[in-house]
Amino acid sequence: MQTSLNWLRELVELPPTVPALVDLLTMAGVEVEGIARTGCDIANVVVAKISESIQHPNADRLSVCTVDDGSGTPRQIVCGAKNFKVGDKVPCALPGAELPGDFKIKAGKLRGVDSNGMLCSAKELQLAEDADGLLILSPDARIGAPIGELFPGDTVLDLEITPNRPDLLSHAGIAVEIATLTAKTLTRPAGPSDPVIAGEAPTVAVESSAPCYYTARRITGVKVGASPEWLRARLESIGLRAINAAVDVTNFVMMASGQPLHVFDAAKLRGKLRVRQAVAGESFLALDGKSYTLAAEDIIIADDAQVVALAGVMGGSESGVTETTTEIILESAYFDPATIRRTSRRLGLSSDSSYRFERGVHLDGVDRASLCAAKYIAEICGASAVSLTAEAGHSTILAQRNVPRAAIALRSTRVAALLGISVSDDRIAQILTGFGCVKVADGWQPPSFRADLVREVDLIEEIARVVGMDEIPAKTTARFAGASATDRNYDRAMILRRAFVAQGLHEARSITLVPAQPLGLAYTQTAPESLQRVKNPMNDDQVVLRPHLLHGLLTAVTTNLRAGGTSVRLFEIGRVFSTRRPEEFLHAAVVLSGPLGERTWRAGEGRAADIFDLKSQLSAVLGEGVTFESDSNPALALSLVIEFSGKPVGFAGQLWPADARALDASASVLFAEIDLAAMWKLSVPDAAKKYREIPRFPATTRDIAMLAPLSLAHAEVERTLVSAKEPLLAGVELFDVFTDASGAKVPADKKSLAYSLTYRSPERTLTADEVNAAHTKLKQRLTSQLGVALRE
Amino acid sequence: MDAQLDQLREEAIAAIAAAADETALDLARVKFLGQQGTLTSLSKGMKDLSKDDKPRIGKLLNDVRAVVTAALDTRKAALLADADKAVFAGVDVTLPGTATSFAGKGSLHPITQLLDRTTGIFRRMGFALADGPDIETEWHCFDALNTPADHPARNEQDTFYFADGRLLRTHTSTVQIRTMEKAAPPVRIIAPGAAYRRDEIDATHLAQFTQMEGLYVDEGVSVADLKGTLEFFFRELFGNDAKFRFRPHFFPFTEPSYEVDIKTSMLGATDRWLEIAGCGMVDPAVLEAVNTKRGDRAFDPEKYTGFAFGFGLDRLAMIMSGTPDIRYFTNNDQRFLAQF
Repeated sequence: MQTSLNWLRELVELPPTVPALVDLLTMAGVEVEGIARTGCDIANVVVAKISESIQHPNADRLSVCTVDDGSGTPRQIVCGAKNFKVGDKVPCALPGAELPGDFKIKAGKLRGVDSNGMLCSAKELQLAEDADGLLILSPDARIGAPIGELFPGDTVLDLEITPNRPDLLSHAGIAVEIATLTAKTLTRPAGPSDPVIAGEAPTVAVESSAPCYYTARRITGVKVGASPEWLRARLESIGLRAINAAVDVTNFVMMASGQPLHVFDAAKLRGKLRVRQAVAGESFLALDGKSYTLAAEDIIIADDAQVVALAGVMGGSESGVTETTTEIILESAYFDPATIRRTSRRLGLSSDSSYRFERGVHLDGVDRASLCAAKYIAEICGASAVSLTAEAGHSTILAQRNVPRAAIALRSTRVAALLGISVSDDRIAQILTGFGCVKVADGWQPPSFRADLVREVDLIEEIARVVGMDEIPAKTTARFAGASATDRNYDRAMILRRAFVAQGLHEARSITLVPAQPLGLAYTQTAPESLQRVKNPMNDDQVVLRPHLLHGLLTAVTTNLRAGGTSVRLFEIGRVFSTRRPEEFLHAAVVLSGPLGERTWRAGEGRAADIFDLKSQLSAVLGEGVTFESDSNPALALSLVIEFSGKPVGFAGQLWPADARALDASASVLFAEIDLAAMWKLSVPDAAKKYREIPRFPATTRDIAMLAPLSLAHAEVERTLVSAKEPLLAGVELFDVFTDASGAKVPADKKSLAYSLTYRSPERTLTADEVNAAHTKLKQRLTSQLGVALRE
Repeated sequence: MDAQLDQLREEAIAAIAAAADETALDLARVKFLGQQGTLTSLSKGMKDLSKDDKPRIGKLLNDVRAVVTAALDTRKAALLADADKAVFAGVDVTLPGTATSFAGKGSLHPITQLLDRTTGIFRRMGFALADGPDIETEWHCFDALNTPADHPARNEQDTFYFADGRLLRTHTSTVQIRTMEKAAPPVRIIAPGAAYRRDEIDATHLAQFTQMEGLYVDEGVSVADLKGTLEFFFRELFGNDAKFRFRPHFFPFTEPSYEVDIKTSMLGATDRWLEIAGCGMVDPAVLEAVNTKRGDRAFDPEKYTGFAFGFGLDRLAMIMSGTPDIRYFTNNDQRFLAQF
């Protein structure tokens, strides 16, 4: 809301400086978004009339002017502009004037000719951004008048008004606020005198189902010219364009009181004015020159022939008041805020008027604003008669007019309890009275223009705003807080994050909204119907909630490789979504691609990460209990199921080279994704871990080397050994795998595997015989069950 | 000519299908489509055709060329895939992982770091963590938080909706409601989490952001407690010299409400007040909405009062780290992540 300080000063005494006022408003909850200086009040700049102009004897581009500055002595000034003629009135900066930009005007000579001042352009006076020559003033301007009389200097604040305070969308409302905050009295400037009430009121009817109160009055015998200087200046200072006196008055009264008004040219209306719902598809040509197609929910004002206004939003282009208007219909109304908001939003058409209606105008201000505007129009446009208002509206709304508000009980104990500071009854009374509340037997009656004051807490808020936070002491209270399930999960996730970081991984955080076909659907075997799809996405990139973290991480692979990176090592822990209950899941995921380290003098090029690096990283991060089962997902080159205590909790794998290339990756792309809730259900919390005896007796190792079919998996060998349940076997370690496609060292269809088996007893040091017996048994088991050939 | 073309097509497709490796496939390509290839030779015969036949045969030639080319491409992809399959078929994924970690240090995301720091401060003040779903009901996101039925935030232009009428929460204040539905006073919680708004994406806006929510409801909680708690928090976060102010504001779910501004000079930025948090005393209407849902008077506003606060971690992280564009936080560029 653009607020003029000159305007406010007529209503209330302002703090001594602009910063003080800005601070006062800001700390009362009225944010100041901008401060602008308008007009021109530079001293020693006056209106002067050019009485003579001759060519400069020594310069082609200059002329020597003689001007009348009202002092009685002609003044000679050298001027470079070309856009004036003798007789024009222009601003003249006298010696001693200081123009913006620290430009001091002095008497002197220009190319040998005396020049006692400067004739100014609009730009030089900061009245415009640009100027082409001198600012030619109105012929009516008084010679010798300070320029500030024509362009009063003003400070304009751009105030952000919160939606609960529509009463502040007016200069009167802001004035009340300032008066209360500073404990000053409001001044009520005397407006024009009451007009002669005569003539026939127009006929109005309300046929709409949306709540409204509609009034119209007829003003006859008007001559609509340009507005007087004071009115133009007032509107221009707050950024409104002067149009004609009648329209300007409606804008002026709206900015003064907050009540939007509209004027019709009576000669352009046919029959009675009705407020009705639009017919779907009906079109309306608005004042802005554009045509709008209306919907049935819109409310319009129509005469017998056509739509003449989009209620509360904008008037029609064909029924407006112009210079030729002699009879005016003045509309003042209350419209349903929700309806106006919907219409304004749907049509993308917003106005000062719709802005106020959609926040709610003051019902009891409708009639007052109508009378106020009628008075100004009558005075400025010389009306012969002003009719009474014709009114129509919904009974519920009509019944609410001029009804005293219900009193709100206010307990000073409650004020103290909520604010943490006791406020004296006197001070409470002073504050509430200032805001227009009236003390009655059972509490405080709020003023009708403060729809936001309904409950005790609403009054306490007013007290809090005036008292201010500085007066309220800071108190610290603590409570013992037991850890919630969320706390435990937070801590576990944080431990996991730090474990990933310790592996040299960077944490990613991706947007949870992803395209309709997120990357990796086939890798995680996500059913498309399980995707949570947003009904109104903003673009194609953010359509469904991510079903897994993989999309973000695979996208990051491309991002990093395209940025010139060679190695990608990212993890993410975050929510993923499904239509499957409980709909939201906490997942952890990793993606690796490229070398494990930078090239060094010692090791040369780092080895590219492979599936076994991924497995080792996951084992290190997820800890004991994690195992990997071979999987055969055809969408992946290599695939694993991540298990915890024998139950699946996630997937890991390597992309097919073609899919990796599609991500711009030439090295292997590896990933894993884990459902953390599932894993935590199966894992032993750190706090529940138990002591296991540390071996006291030495272990003995025996190696086994074998030739096995290429297809025999290590897991199979391990399972065969472990399932023997040999009590002395304490560990199985694979330490060599060898193949030779040429068949020279190992047959081409075989591989050589070498294991180291550890034997130990918790009770004694084992003898060589004991170990040999156990080892022989295990070797026999391998040959008989797996058909491998042992290499002795 | 027609018959010749038909035959040629059949031959080419058979040869392509029979190609067992890339070399064989390349030979087939040269045989049919090469400079001296059969299809190329046939094309050269075009000039001898009658004017009537020319367009028809020309089109036929093109069709055959397209079919053969497509067959070549398909076969090539299949051969490559077979080669890949052969390579990976020999990999025993059950081999144990080899102990390796990346050279160089990893990093926690800057938002996580700030989230963990702020969480730590509130936990020291006795706040427990709470959470709630991102996919919320309109009741939890708006109605229970005293937001008018025609409030613009409910509009589909501002909020993401699902077909079933639910929505992506526009603030983490939903967790206030979720928590009070189940717990009884005193409630003293913080809730970090994601929130969503249909904002056009630019240097300072994402459609998704990270918020920290806080709520304390108990007997005798006042504005003084709110002030003391947040003052302590901001001093912990920004240092004892931190300058901040509580500026009255409006939120539907708190009354009185405040925004907290900090002086940016202490962050090395140009000196101005910057809004960083919203807070206030829980509106009695919110407590009553919870009571109604619970079907009891557990949060009787006459007995219990409370404060709530919320702030955006992304913007705070931007200011504190000097990151000029919010999109860095979701781009996952390792050159950015490694800085923190």
